[in-house]
This record gives sequence, structure tokens and C-alpha cells, in this order.
Amino acid sequence: MSQSKDLGPLIAAEAGDSRNRAITSAINGVTARRWLGYGAVYVVLTAIAIVFMIPLLWMFATSLKSRSEIFAWPPSWIPEQPLWSNYAMAFEKYPLARFMMNTSVLVIFNIIGELLAVPLIAYGFARLNFPFKRVLFILMLSTMMIPGQIKLIPLYSIYSRLGLVNTYVPLVLPAFFGNPFFIFLMVQYIRTIPRDLDEAARIDGAGTWTILYRIILPLCKPVLAVMIVFTFLWVWNDFLQPLIYLNDFYSYPISVGLAFFRGRYSVEWNLFMAATLVSILPVLVLYFFAQRHLIGGIASLGLKG
Amino acid sequence: MRIYGRMAALALLSVALLTVTSLGVLAQEPVTIEWWTVASEEFDEEVQRALVEKFNSEHTDVQVNMTLLPSSGYDERMQTTLGAGQGAPDVALFWITNWYPQALDLTELIENDPDIDPDMYLPGFWNTRVVWEDKIIGLPLGVGANFVMYNKDMFDAAGVEYPDPDWTPEDYNRLVAELANAEQRVWGGDRPRGPYRAIWYNMGARLYADDSSTTEGYLNSPESVAAYQWLWDLVNTNGTPTPADLEVLGTEGTGPVDLFLADRLAMATLNQGHMLNAMAEGKNFGIVPEPHIPGNTRHVNAWSLTASIWAGTEHPEAAWKWLKYWAGPEGQRFLMENGNLIPSIPSVLEEWEGAETEYGQAFLDVLELEQVAAWDNEHPCKATVLRAVEDIWDLINLNQIAREDIPATLDGLVPAADAALQECVGRLGG
Repeated sequence: MSQSKDLGPLIAAEAGDSRNRAITSAINGVTARRWLGYGAVYVVLTAIAIVFMIPLLWMFATSLKSRSEIFAWPPSWIPEQPLWSNYAMAFEKYPLARFMMNTSVLVIFNIIGELLAVPLIAYGFARLNFPFKRVLFILMLSTMMIPGQIKLIPLYSIYSRLGLVNTYVPLVLPAFFGNPFFIFLMVQYIRTIPRDLDEAARIDGAGTWTILYRIILPLCKPVLAVMIVFTFLWVWNDFLQPLIYLNDFYSYPISVGLAFFRGRYSVEWNLFMAATLVSILPVLVLYFFAQRHLIGGIASLGLKG
Repeated sequence: MRIYGRMAALALLSVALLTVTSLGVLAQEPVTIEWWTVASEEFDEEVQRALVEKFNSEHTDVQVNMTLLPSSGYDERMQTTLGAGQGAPDVALFWITNWYPQALDLTELIENDPDIDPDMYLPGFWNTRVVWEDKIIGLPLGVGANFVMYNKDMFDAAGVEYPDPDWTPEDYNRLVAELANAEQRVWGGDRPRGPYRAIWYNMGARLYADDSSTTEGYLNSPESVAAYQWLWDLVNTNGTPTPADLEVLGTEGTGPVDLFLADRLAMATLNQGHMLNAMAEGKNFGIVPEPHIPGNTRHVNAWSLTASIWAGTEHPEAAWKWLKYWAGPEGQRFLMENGNLIPSIPSVLEEWEGAETEYGQAFLDVLELEQVAAWDNEHPCKATVLRAVEDIWDLINLNQIAREDIPATLDGLVPAADAALQECVGRLGG
């Protein structure tokens, strides 16, 4: 009895140990399952990412091939002899750096324009009361339904009469009047911000401008990030507008510049791919740094694609 | 009174002085002409800038401002400015027929200019490319044509004899079958891009009557049936890339030349621009006209660029100076010697170095043939009628029709084709 009494703590300790072991092993099992789960998810995600990367990888491989190797059968991922000189040739053939700088100028001014105009207009629609507000909002939204091609000739006519063709004004000016899509997004977003904040600020003596710039805008960072990224992408890729309004070869943006690699009868695919790859690098870099804001913004706005 | 007289004399003198001065200023101020062009295999950016520089240095009264546009965006730019009725260039390439009404009629300018004579150009190109509704709407710049390019190395590797220039459509199909190698994804030849082009015409087929009255007896004529059955035979050699293959390979319609340069297409119907590509890639190739039926008139799908003056120009005289320089003997010679243009002026064409090569000579022979455009230009409803009968083209290309069903299918398409023809003829005012 005494022995058993003496053994009691030992037994208890053993029982505790086995319980601990059971708990540990249970925890280990959960951890292992969790890691397995993570592993499977990562494997699937990596596989999907590789699928999505294929065009980019093919573009890279093509940019290093000779012209006849591009369409050879069976197709090869790795060029027989990588022609890095294709990149130099692409830059020698056309002033790509200049084209990219021109695009950057357009992007910067468009972003500035949107950032100045969109919050003002959106705040007006979301918070202020004025006659015909609803009608004007619908009218503004309806401009999104008009295909760009329909506006092309009338707009060209107007800019031509104003002597603004062959300047960047037609490519930048519209941004300073806001983009209906962004205005709509921002109106919806501002509507989700409690009015109590405006009222509290107003009680503290803030005016409309102060409320917009000190209260509302700092809360709109996600939607502003979406605006910046989308404007960047749209302006970077826009081909038609610069093509229509610009005459001077050295003022073309990269989107138009790349089109010069397509001849009348054929395309120099290797040089074209080299130039295109270089031209999308800024877009990739932007995505890399802005993805957190972009995903957050898109999620909070309920946007797709 | 004397004071008034002096004042009047002074005023007159001032007016006269101002007029003389402004005239002098006007005389010194050169007119600037806006010129839009594209870069191509025949004339790249550099050679065109050099031509402008040369012209500007030789002319003090007219200066040319060149706008280089990408080929893939040229149409949109021209359509927009011509549609807006403003901002169009003084001089440009008017390569779409819809733009012709906005081109200046050059008849009077040519009549009063001893430097330019319609007879100095290759007649086939003058008639089909710059004469429109009894007007002269431009000058033909350079020449281009379709022909069959064959890869000699691939023929040698397959142990097949090169095509004879006098070959027939059946010869073409036979060679396609002999050269194709399905395992290596190598094709013997490509398919025609549409019916009623050179091969159809070479086989004696026409879409409708010369007087545009009916398609009966034309669309379903024995010649048309034979042409469509020839296409069926070609598709069934399984030695040609499908239209889908070519769509995938060449988003810009460049599939055939890309495959040809990659040694995967032994014969392809290409043009002089592609010929230049093949030369640059060091390909061992030859060229022959598209196949024909002996005894029939042989045709070629050929073209020239229509260099025109916009009817809305404020400086027609200055624009004419540049146009006749650019598309006249001087400009075409410059573009030939410094670029790759094959000129449309025989006296300049004689100096073409490429003429000494085997394929150069073959190309010149092709230019002698009857142009597809000769019939097409006189029958503007061709495209409308073709749209009404495109089903059979698709069915054959997709291998969804039996060979023996082709005559009946063509018979069945005649009413729809006739309706399209009558509608078009009525729309164009008879």
C-alpha cells in the first residue's frame, strides 16, 4: 500500500506523461496534417502559377531565338544558342527607352489628373446635396456605355480645331475631368464610410474641404490604390489614342513604338518579344510592389478582374 | 484738296509697300507639307527620312514633314482624320478603296506637268491602282505580287523536282503530297486564302457574268466546280496547314512566311516583301507563278501602293511637287537604291539589281501576267457575292463536304448569290 502510495506520484507522472505524449502526438498530427495541407495548397498554387507563367516564359525564350528557330518543330523552350543581341538590336532599331519615357510622362500626368478630379467629383455625388444629383450621376454613368470608337472622330475633330493634335493634351486632359468608372467606384466606397465621422469633424469646425482631404481621403487609400494601378495599366497599354493624336515619331509611347516591329508583310517576332518583355517590366514591378494594396482595394470594392 | 491728294497718294504707297513686302515674305516662307507613311520591308524609316532630307534640301519653297505610323495602326489613323474631314495629311498612301473619294483628282496636274506621264508607269498597275471612276487619284508607288516561293533545300531533302513555271494545279497538289511529312509537322504547301483569285481565274472560273447580270453559269460553271474540287483535293492531301494552324501561328497573317522560313512549309504563296525576308535569312529558294491550266489566260494577284493627295489639302501645288518626287522616277530610284523598293516605272525597274538574280527575273516575269485586279476593279460586287457563298469555302476547308456534292452545293448557292449581286448592283446605281 505504502509501495503503491510511493508509486502514486510516479504513476500519476507516467499518466501525465502519456497524456502529454498523447497531446503532443495529437498536436504533431495536427501540425503534420496542417503542413501537408499547406504543402498541397502550395503545390497546386505553384502549378497554376507555372501555367500562368508559360506565355511569359515563352516570350522570354522567343526573345533569345533566331527567327527560323521560333517556328521550328519540335518547339524548344531553351534556344540552341541564346541571342542576347536581340535585345540590343531591338533597342537599336527603335528608340524604345524614349518611348518608355514618353509613356511614363503620360502615366504620371494621368494619375495626377485622376487623383485630383475623381475624389472631388465622387465626394460631391456621395455626400453633398444639389439639384439633379441623381440625374447627373446616371448621366455620368451612362457615358461608360458609349464605346470609345464612337467618340473618336468627334473628339479628334474638337482637338484638331483647338490645335491640340500632336501634343499630349488630348491624352492627358480627360483625366483631369475624372473617369466615370473611378468616380463610380469612389462614390460607392465613400458611401460605406459612416457619416458620423463627417458630422464629428463638422462639429469640430471642419469645412467641406477639410473633411474631404483630412477625413475621407485618408480612409480611401484602397480605392485610390486601385485607381493608380488601373490608370497606370490603361495608359501604359493604350495604343489607339496616342496613335490618333500624335504625329511626332519621338513623342510616341511604348504601345505605339512596339507596333513598329510588325512590318507590312511579316513580324520580327524575336525582336518584338524582346522589346515587349522590356516594356512590361515596369508593369510587373508595379504589380510586385502594389499587389497588397491592389488586392486589398479590389477585395474591399468587390471588383473582379 | 492738295492735302487730301497727298494723303491718298501716301495711303496708296503704303498699301503697295505692304503688298510687296508681304509678297516678298510669302515668297520666302516655304510651304510645309504633311506626309504620312509607314515603315516596311521595302522602305524603312531611315531611307524615307533620307528621301525627305534630300527633297527638302533641293526645294526651298516646299518642305516635307514626315509622320511615320505603324502599319498596324495606319488604317485607323487615316479613317479617323478622313472621317473628321480635318487634320488629314496633304500626301499619304491611300491604300483602301473607301478613301479614294477623298483623294484629289490629279488629272489636271498631270496634264500640265511635263515631268509625269501615265505612260511612264507599268500600265497594269496604273490602270488598276490609280484610275478610279475616270479620275486619276494617285501615282503608283512600287510593285508587289503574289507568287509561289519554294524551299529548294526541302525539295532536295525530299528528292522532289522543283516546280516548273508552267505547272498546273494538279502538279501543285501532287508536290504538296510528296513533300509533306506529318510526323515532322512539315507541310508541302499552303492553301489559297480565298476563291476567285489567281488560281480560280487561271482555271477559267468567274464569279458572275461580265455584265453583272447573273451568277448562273458562272458560280456553278464547270470551271468553278473544277476549281472548288481542286481545293477539295488539296485539303485531302493532308499536306497543308489548316486555316486554324495559320491563325494560331501568325496573329498578323504571317503564318505562311514564318513556317516557310522555319523550313516547315515547302511551298507558300507569298510576295516580294516575304522574298526580301527569305533573302535576309539566307534561304535557298526559287519562285514560280501560281499554277495554271495551259491555254487559259494566266493571272497574278499584283498591286502597287496608291500615293495620293488629300482633296482637302490647302496646298495642292506644293503637295503635287512632293508626290511626283516621291512616287516619280527620282523618288522610286532613291528608294530602290537605298531601300528595297521594286519600282513601278519600267525605266527605273531596268536598273534594279535584283533583276539579275534567278528569283528577281522570275518576279519580273510574274508582273507580265494579267492582273486579278483588272476584272475585280470592274466588278465591285465581287466581295458582296463572295460573302453570300462563303459556306462552300468553309465546308471544303473544314473537310465537311463530299467531293461529289460540290456541284449541287454550288447550284444551290446560285439564288443567294444572285440576290446578293442584284442588291449590290442596285445599291451602286446599276
